[in-house]
Amino acid sequence: MNGRSGRYQALVTLLAFALPVFFIVAPLLMFLAYSFFSVDHGEINYTLTVANYVRFFTEPVFLPIFWSTCVLCLSVSVICVLLGYPAAYFLTTLHGRWRYIMLMMLMVPLLMSYVIKIYAIRSILGQSGFLNTMLVGLGILEKPSSLFVFNMNAILLTLTLLLIPFAILPIFLALERIPQVLLRASADLGASSIQTFMRITLPLSVPGVASATSFVFVLAIGDFLTPQMVGGVNGFTFGRILYSQFGTAFNWPFGAALSVALAVVVIAAILAGERFGRQKGLPR
Amino acid sequence: MNSMRLSTILLAAITALVAILLYSPLFVPIVSSFFVINHGQADWSTPTLSAYIALTENTDVLAALRATLIVGLCTVVLSVVCGTLLALYYHSHRAGGGALQFIVFLPFLMPPVISGLALLIFFREINFDRSLVTIVIGHTIFVLAIVYRTILTRLQSVSRTLVEASYDLGANGWQTFWRVILPNLSSAMAGGAILAFALSFDETMITILVTGTQSTLPVRLWAMMRLGFSPDINALVALVLLFTVLLCGLTARFLIPKQVAGFHG
Repeated sequence: MNGRSGRYQALVTLLAFALPVFFIVAPLLMFLAYSFFSVDHGEINYTLTVANYVRFFTEPVFLPIFWSTCVLCLSVSVICVLLGYPAAYFLTTLHGRWRYIMLMMLMVPLLMSYVIKIYAIRSILGQSGFLNTMLVGLGILEKPSSLFVFNMNAILLTLTLLLIPFAILPIFLALERIPQVLLRASADLGASSIQTFMRITLPLSVPGVASATSFVFVLAIGDFLTPQMVGGVNGFTFGRILYSQFGTAFNWPFGAALSVALAVVVIAAILAGERFGRQKGLPR
Repeated sequence: MNSMRLSTILLAAITALVAILLYSPLFVPIVSSFFVINHGQADWSTPTLSAYIALTENTDVLAALRATLIVGLCTVVLSVVCGTLLALYYHSHRAGGGALQFIVFLPFLMPPVISGLALLIFFREINFDRSLVTIVIGHTIFVLAIVYRTILTRLQSVSRTLVEASYDLGANGWQTFWRVILPNLSSAMAGGAILAFALSFDETMITILVTGTQSTLPVRLWAMMRLGFSPDINALVALVLLFTVLLCGLTARFLIPKQVAGFHG
């Protein structure tokens, strides 16, 4: 290799890195730096300080909301997995192209407009909405209830409806990778279908469940639109507080510090999903 | 055997429930778009197309639709070009390929609110006014990971022997690229492009943070919904959903056969 081709290689590397570094790494680093700044009379003060982090840990509002949001999003993941697992399992019992047509059917709603879905769900959950009309009609409720909209329940229900497909896909892929010979061997050795499921299928699908939980959790915790739309005054989540720092509260550095806290949880969730989501000893 | 049948029926019932849960939010606006709504109460007796006619006169929404299409097309071009170049770079085992791939994946792994806020601060610090350009940049870094991944997967499946045969027959690097590699990538690029467009068309969280005065349709709808809006929006929603179904069909046509093969192999 002579000097000229060495320079050419270096130039190619430089060009490849230029845009990603400029538009992805630089903004993220600047964002991180912002979390150590402060606000003075509506102006950003560029002296470094950890005051934002101290405020997050010491003021009694932020940590409780942070935890309750984590619990909320974890509940969303669990409900999504509980609904998604049977659906994914059902798909693997289908044969040939029907399996993929059905999978596609369950994935298509993902590509449908997010805002429109939130709006439609809100009108379904509302006082004069479909859910209340049905419950009253069936005689389960005496009069329309306001339990389903503008509170934490509403956020839980809406996020669940929006994110179920993200639970189905990884579980389906994990279930599909389980070699059929294992199931047949289990049946040959006299196991009942319940025993086969508990001892073979379920343990081998754990990686899919882990990925599904982590996917749904990460998507749920990063969402600030859904809580804003269906949460009302009672459904306050971390995402909303974070977003308000960039709007009404106008404290970008504090908002950046809150985002760092969010990023830490997200990274932990992704790593946990990755750790338990790895398939062991199965053909890829 | 009876318990087997019972469990299958139970599973099918849960799957049906999930499907109903997933599709009901899509049907509500479509159905109501064909009826007149007075004081929040729909008049179910007479179906009408009046909402669709009103829509053609709603200049606000039509302008937002136009902005969305412009942003989508720019995002597609940028992300397919960058995605292809980055995939080629990674595939040729040059310096820092792994690090580059990690950077490209970051905005897709992180919650969109973080990417959006990072860009918001970045544009402010470099004194770059927010406009459709900033939305295009936000969308591109968001969809880049998917386009890149789609193209890289195809690139890795282009047989090594094809490339070697091309060199053996006397083609140089560029000829091999234009005549052998690129034609093999074209359907993955098309699939990636449609996926990028579909994601850009619906992207709300990054857009809401980096938007200027002119905005895309989801953000416009978002602003309207908070106030409660006119019935022509239902008509628009129905049309948007129809359009998305068409996009999904197209994506499936370009990407699914390969994926089905991948599931078994």
